Amino acid sequence: MRFRASITNIHTFTKFTASLATLGHIAWVRLDEKDVRFTVIPENGSQVWSVLAKDAVFDTYTIQSAAPGNTINLEVPLAPLQRALKSAQNGTAANIRLTKKDNIPLLSLTITTSTMNNPVPHGTQNDTGVEEFREESVDFFGSRQDRETVVTQDVPIRVLAPASVQGIHEPVCREPDVHIVLPNLMQLKSISDRFTRLASSSKSKSGFGAGSSGPKLELSGNMHGCLRLSLSTDAMRIKSLWTGLENPELDPDHVSQGEDGLANHPSTRMKAMGDETGETDEGWATVRVEGKDWGRVLSVGRLGGRVIACFCHDHALILYVFLNGEGPGEGESVLTYYISSYSA
Amino acid sequence: MTVLSFSLTPDATGRMYELLVCLAKFGDSVSLEARSEKASPLTITALNLSRTAYASFALDAKTFFISYDFQATSSLKNGDRFTCQLLNKALQSVFKSRANEGRSRESTVERCDVSIQDQPDKTECRLIVKMLCKHGLTKTYRLTYESVEVMHALFDKSAATQGWRISARVLREYVEFFGPKTEQLDLLAQDGKAIFTSFTEKIQDGKEVLKHPLETAITIHVEDFEEFHMQENMHIVVSVKDFKAIVAHAETMRGSISAQFSFPNRPLQFSYQNSGIYCEFTLMTDDVRGATSTANAKFVSTRSSSRQPSVVPVHSFNRTYSEMPPPARPPMNQSFGSQRQSHSLGSQNRQNSMAESDPDPESLFVSGGEDDSRWDPPALDNDDGEDMLGWDSNYENPGASFHPQLEDREPVAPAEPSLQQTGTQATEGLEPTQRLSQLHGMFD
Repeated sequence: MRFRASITNIHTFTKFTASLATLGHIAWVRLDEKDVRFTVIPENGSQVWSVLAKDAVFDTYTIQSAAPGNTINLEVPLAPLQRALKSAQNGTAANIRLTKKDNIPLLSLTITTSTMNNPVPHGTQNDTGVEEFREESVDFFGSRQDRETVVTQDVPIRVLAPASVQGIHEPVCREPDVHIVLPNLMQLKSISDRFTRLASSSKSKSGFGAGSSGPKLELSGNMHGCLRLSLSTDAMRIKSLWTGLENPELDPDHVSQGEDGLANHPSTRMKAMGDETGETDEGWATVRVEGKDWGRVLSVGRLGGRVIACFCHDHALILYVFLNGEGPGEGESVLTYYISSYSA
Repeated sequence: MTVLSFSLTPDATGRMYELLVCLAKFGDSVSLEARSEKASPLTITALNLSRTAYASFALDAKTFFISYDFQATSSLKNGDRFTCQLLNKALQSVFKSRANEGRSRESTVERCDVSIQDQPDKTECRLIVKMLCKHGLTKTYRLTYESVEVMHALFDKSAATQGWRISARVLREYVEFFGPKTEQLDLLAQDGKAIFTSFTEKIQDGKEVLKHPLETAITIHVEDFEEFHMQENMHIVVSVKDFKAIVAHAETMRGSISAQFSFPNRPLQFSYQNSGIYCEFTLMTDDVRGATSTANAKFVSTRSSSRQPSVVPVHSFNRTYSEMPPPARPPMNQSFGSQRQSHSLGSQNRQNSMAESDPDPESLFVSGGEDDSRWDPPALDNDDGEDMLGWDSNYENPGASFHPQLEDREPVAPAEPSLQQTGTQATEGLEPTQRLSQLHGMFD
């Protein structure tokens, strides 16, 4: 079993790992000749199934496995991986490979840095006893231009047998009622987090709450470019409304039964209801999400991708996060979040 | 009664806070030792609980203090020294705000006066810190202290022939890479490079493997060091936490940090100085990776090759030394260096001949055959031997007071108890007679 690649897009990979790490500690990673799949299935909360096209992050990618389809299945702790990637931020090159040390399988990152090449003058804040050193340090750094420092970070992992991952399947959901492009996630996240905080503070004051899980936010969308985020507690009812968002056209090729399927698609029926102002009560598909979990999901905003939310009324919300610069096609990188709706 | 009073410059006040933060990483309390000596009259130290790490900051009279006054009285059992112990937290909080102000904007402290209250007519001992601020504001803090003997670690610099020096800033950047949960740091020299590896020994199986912290190795060219000299393939292991604390403080002092060491399981010392503070950290090292080779040792060095021959014998001496129980050494430092040197040369010459046969009758070495203790798991916390008491040979008047010391001394194998008790060499000083562990109750 062999895996080795150089990481070409360290920033994307770091942000990607950071987004996954908010949902769970451990990811199931499936490597094959085409892409790298990261799946996080926490005990409770939302799942994420993601596909990274190998070109999106890696280069000189080699994989060799005895398993069918030349795949390697790993269990990777996300926090150490994230930390390891972080130390590559200022590196000039980074490689990742599967290896073994003292019988513990590892993902080993080798990072070449030359961070010392541009020393920032130090010691402007404090002026006593610094002069001497400043001069010395300039000389010192000047002489170390060409040498590289190598940092290796070993992330302990587990190798999974093909049989042990056979039973894990991506959730299946019915055709969504509404699909809509989400507004800027930074904005959505800060408003959502504010709602969550308001809900939890009002709850702690009144002294009773809905069981052990946190406050629920109600998220609705319609087929006329409207998204509504609302919170209702005993003490208050607040609502944020976005209008003028995009409802992407469905591609008949991707809908079962083609044009006919499209005509009967739930979203086509939803299109007949509601309007662009979002003032009517009709035409909304609504889900209830747990505030904190939703905040964790929205941390994917750091990747800066285009996000399409698919609402299955009262059932689930699916977010597709398309990474920047990827058109639809074979080699696209996409993160899929499955968020199930709480009952009212 | 003892009179101790000194004044600090505003800058020194900030530095004081920084060094207290660093000391806090080693222990909850700090020890203060004041002397009438001119050069560095005040030393602030901390020793960790397991007595494997010792930090000391000696403050320079000229640069650090505006004024310094110390008058010991004969009533002091310690001679012309004053020692006490304080809670680090308490002292830190006194200096804390000063540091913040000093860094961000014009410091409001104009002077910091410290004095002790040690009169027999007062019931409690107090350390009084007065912060004289602008606009005539004075803040006075009274801290309780405990009058105890201060324990120092002795480090034999003459034995520590290996070492390196590197800019603290460079090191600080690399230290950031070490995972927060790792415990140990392995220093290794190989192929013209220095390798720093942070790791954790705990071996977990099953699902727990994934909780194993990140293992980080940093490979630095020896040319990036200002100076480097270390035996190839030798592993020296210290605590990551201590190392991080030291590097973090060294970076605030801006300058270079030096490491001096001899061999695994022997103490190592980090040192640096600036702004009138002489910082020394003595750490016990470990050899957990066990791979330290002894046969035809090579050195990775930036020192000129002409110096090499003079170094090699010292090394092979130490090799012999680590394989056998050491001779009973006289604890006097001055005579010590030269004496060791001559041992080293001598022992190297006879090294081959003494393999299995009679040892040289002149030799102080005891041929113990295979020293099994070498194979024992390293026990840093073991009280046996490592915390032997010794006299502070630097102190001019050894007879007048009693200084507990942590000494750089190979643990004496219990099989040779007689070595420990071999007669006192009256000309060279007194042998340590007691173990630290037997001293409980005297100071504690």
